[in-house]
Amino acid sequence: MFDRSLLVVSGKGGVGKSAITAALCILAARRGLSVLAIAMTDDLGLGSHLGVDRLGYRPQEIRPGVNALTIDRSQALDEYIRLQLHAPRIAPLGPVARGLNALADAVPGIRDIITIGKVLFEAGKPQWDIVIADAPPLGQITSYLRAPVTIAGLVPVGRVRDQALRYEEELGNPDHTGLVLVVTPEELPVVETNEARGEIASLVDIAAILTNRVLDPLGVSEETLTGMPAGPHRDAGLLHRGLYDAQRRWSAEIPDGPDIPFLFGVHTPGEVAVLIADSIGGTR
Amino acid sequence: MTRAVLITGGGGVGKTTIAAALGVAAAEAGHRTLVLTVDPARRLATALGLEKLGNHPEPNPGLHGLFAAMLDSAASWDAIAYRHAPEEVADRLVTNPLFEAVANRFPSGQAYAAAEEMAVHLESGQWDVVVVDTPPASGGIDFFEAPSRMRDLVGGRLLRWLTGARLPGRRGLFNLAGRPALRLGDALLGGPLLEQVAEFLFDLRTTYDGITAKAGVIERHFAAAATVVVSTADPGPLREALRFHEVGIEPALVVFNRALPDEWAEPAEPLDDGRAAAALNENLARWALEVRRQEDARADFSGRVGTAMVTIPWLADAPTDLEGLRAVFAGAPELTLEGVGI
Repeated sequence: MFDRSLLVVSGKGGVGKSAITAALCILAARRGLSVLAIAMTDDLGLGSHLGVDRLGYRPQEIRPGVNALTIDRSQALDEYIRLQLHAPRIAPLGPVARGLNALADAVPGIRDIITIGKVLFEAGKPQWDIVIADAPPLGQITSYLRAPVTIAGLVPVGRVRDQALRYEEELGNPDHTGLVLVVTPEELPVVETNEARGEIASLVDIAAILTNRVLDPLGVSEETLTGMPAGPHRDAGLLHRGLYDAQRRWSAEIPDGPDIPFLFGVHTPGEVAVLIADSIGGTR
Repeated sequence: MTRAVLITGGGGVGKTTIAAALGVAAAEAGHRTLVLTVDPARRLATALGLEKLGNHPEPNPGLHGLFAAMLDSAASWDAIAYRHAPEEVADRLVTNPLFEAVANRFPSGQAYAAAEEMAVHLESGQWDVVVVDTPPASGGIDFFEAPSRMRDLVGGRLLRWLTGARLPGRRGLFNLAGRPALRLGDALLGGPLLEQVAEFLFDLRTTYDGITAKAGVIERHFAAAATVVVSTADPGPLREALRFHEVGIEPALVVFNRALPDEWAEPAEPLDDGRAAAALNENLARWALEVRRQEDARADFSGRVGTAMVTIPWLADAPTDLEGLRAVFAGAPELTLEGVGI
């Protein structure tokens, strides 16, 4: 998984995407890679799982081998115009950037291409062995992945179009980019992941589907439990069995991939990421 | 007077289930009740008597007085265009590919469409109670900010940039030569695209007065509604729940879903007979860790926010019928209709 230049991590909201992004970064750094973690839209989750309050727009080393940044759209836009499109410095960028910022609300794909463009721009830098991006949730991810195609379709000629075609190629190249889908074995995450998989796979290679918060079997039969006197042992056993059975039903609907165990009683986001890294690292 | 209850919170915390359970309880207390939901799990939709997407309220076959509608945001956008623009302009708008793109991707769009739909039902005079399951966008906050974002979108900020300070007529919308910023935009994106956008925004601009007025009405509905923030004791949902407090929205109630019984964390006499004893002792011990984590998270939360809180027990199987929804409400004695102003 870590031999690609870019891993994009997505999944339905609430399944633990940011924790797993942070864990993958920690794991890659443990293997000696120089890692850049990117929060594509919201830095709170990724930042706290990496043990810092906020992330900045400039890469910042937050643990050995792991740098991190968050994408600030107006700065990314500025950088996109100047560095990627080599815009002439004819006028202060202020009004242009403000205008394009407003345009991003109305023209499909502009906001998205600036964000995904920044991610691909960083992935192309020799200083990073791998870039791992905490991407928007399932409902929005295809819009980002599709942005280069959308823009190339809207803009007939020019630098924006050329750049968009290059992005499209890099996203579609499985040696360059992989998408990691995170799912929990519950109804909505599984159903929505399966609905989105086909469209996602047409845009980017799905490197792995990770199942998060997986429970172990209890090892005690339902008959034994229901025959016991009432009390916390019985109730906790019945809840565990019930949850485990429901998880089994839903995980049967998704392809096999690494399972990440349910973490009992873990308090801080930082601990979660390290424990997940240990768990994935140990199984591979 | 129709009572509005807004159920909000991060993704995956069980908002829809709680909205449905409150709806069932309200209907059983004799209130004519509408549950407005967005994309529920299939089996829960069936429990609500919803077979298909549609803004039209469907009566529940199993419970008199309970109705549900599933918001179709694409249809809602068309409705917004026809509600706020002259018919010929609306015809042009709904067939414009940019309009569809905005409808699909403007982050506050779905939320605004849902809010307008909510307002229609609140003002219809047909309901005693309307329970709104807010769209899942960024943690439900979007729903509350949607009216002002929408006002900005149609307010012509971009149109003014494209056309200069004064709004021109439809002809000569767009004056490249006079505007250096536009010359650069043109070099990057090509004139036809900008011109197309300007035309689209010009049409969209006609909805401004209507949407501004409506956004104000929606904000007053929000202020009068009882807001229920749903969370679990997990960090992500808790962060979303705290954001309501940070932006000054005071919920009537915070609901902690998937709560474990506190007594699991109390010292228990270990089981010592039977093969299963060791496994069950170990199982209780690890769930007790989870109980303590939940207790700490709730204590931390209530230390920051003074709102009333209720817990709802963790169920192994999500409710899929009216019986299950009644059980959710019955299983949480602190959750009352009075608590949400019904």
